[in-house]
Amino acid sequence: MDDAAFDRMLRICRLRLSGSERDRIKADIDKVITYFDTIESVDCDGYSPAYQPVEMPARTREDRTDVFRESDRLLKNSKTYRFYMVGPKI
Amino acid sequence: MRSSIDEFEEKEKPDGYYERTLKELSDMNQKFHIFSRMPQSMEHGFQFSVKDNICVDGVESSASAEILEGYVPPFDATAVERMRGRGFSFIGKTKMDEFGFGTFGINCAEHPLNPINPEYVTGGSSAGAAAATAVMKYHVAIAESTGGSISCPAAFCGVVGFTPTYGLVSRYGLIDYANSLDKIGIMARRSADIRHVFDVIKGSDRYDTTCIDREVNADKRTKLIIVDQLMQNIDQAVLSAFDRFTSKLESRGYEVVHRSIPFIEKAIPAYYIISTAEASTNLAKYTGFKYGKKTEDFSQGYNEFFTEARSSLGTEAKRRVILGTFVRSASVKSKYYEKALRLRRMLIEAMGNVLSEGFIISPTMPIMPPKVEEAAGLDPVKAYSMDSITVPPNLAGFPHISFPYDYSGDFPMGAQLITSHFNDYALMDFAGAWEEDFEYRFKYNVGSL
Repeated sequence: MDDAAFDRMLRICRLRLSGSERDRIKADIDKVITYFDTIESVDCDGYSPAYQPVEMPARTREDRTDVFRESDRLLKNSKTYRFYMVGPKI
Repeated sequence: MRSSIDEFEEKEKPDGYYERTLKELSDMNQKFHIFSRMPQSMEHGFQFSVKDNICVDGVESSASAEILEGYVPPFDATAVERMRGRGFSFIGKTKMDEFGFGTFGINCAEHPLNPINPEYVTGGSSAGAAAATAVMKYHVAIAESTGGSISCPAAFCGVVGFTPTYGLVSRYGLIDYANSLDKIGIMARRSADIRHVFDVIKGSDRYDTTCIDREVNADKRTKLIIVDQLMQNIDQAVLSAFDRFTSKLESRGYEVVHRSIPFIEKAIPAYYIISTAEASTNLAKYTGFKYGKKTEDFSQGYNEFFTEARSSLGTEAKRRVILGTFVRSASVKSKYYEKALRLRRMLIEAMGNVLSEGFIISPTMPIMPPKVEEAAGLDPVKAYSMDSITVPPNLAGFPHISFPYDYSGDFPMGAQLITSHFNDYALMDFAGAWEEDFEYRFKYNVGSL
């Protein structure tokens, strides 16, 4: 991956790396991608993607509202205003 | 062999037993850094620990990640709820590699040390779970495996580690790493304990639509299959001990045969492609205001805020987020992610064919436990390649068990047995029969009666 592509990837990932950390991780990523490239040698023609390792029926839940009784405790994990979580500007 | 759970229930507990046990366990924790959180007092009953990526109501659960520090779930994971419902007592959250990202158990603050010799790694990512099982006599660990996180530390710490068929145990309440690979499993000192606990935690769950409720089998196999490609790059000492082990099994009536799955070594890159792809999306929810560690400056725009929050991720987590985002990129998605999913389908078929003949058996790990500094010095590709034996059954969702079969000095050597989907009980039966004639060794027995 060239420098421009790596920096673009960092922006997409919302990651900021310092100079030495960036160089170290970029070198690691290059090695790992080369390792990933080795799957090209396997002929997988005729095989569909396996999104799950075990076939399972598509189960759905009844479309109804449940009251989560612990919402007050859940909100304790964040800064709140009334019953809203406070977050950054979008 | 009967379960230690039954044995514990039958034995009378002397006055002060629980207080003494908690004190001894706290001392062990000081020495080996096993738990991230322990209760002030010990509930009466058979104890179970919970890996730090599995939610326990009211107890900080951070998956040993700095970004999740301070997150206190207001609910129990289904596995935890079922354990409590059957009278088991919660003893603590066990440390792990951050989010499960690691083979050696060293990717977290003040990582666990191997109780057999603290200069050596415990294995990961369920590092504390294995260490807790190695030091406590009457205890089971609820652990979790994505690519070998139960088998590896079980082998390095000399305990039994069981990873069920994908989907048999609910993942509700698990802080996910890779949804199509994560499996909650069990570590214990005896296979009978694992069977007991598996019966408690398995079964469908309305909160996890990928959890399957179906019959689990115990189809005995008399053929033990060595997949030649899994035996490459194994240390000579491990190979020699494993040869002696298979000879012993032959003398007990098992037939040992060799088979080939030529592309099985590609399971590792395929696994890391799929797991990093899933991890990179799962970690996107840690935005700095909803769970765990807070980013305080709300005057920042969302991107700056989010970027600041993610600076708390460890090096391995950052690496995996970048890799996962890259392999999902539109321009290379079919080359990496979709190809890896096709390869997984091929692997399920090829391993399934072999497993229809018998169990696949191998050493659990290609090496003996390394010293902490040796493991820390490995580059990522070398570290990932240490999962060469544990990744295939995890990628394909096959149940597997690791158990000690020999010792080299003080250190145990673990064997891994794999079987077909939903034949999980057969693994416990096999290991249980092995335990009748082979005594596992434990340096510590905290809580003995």
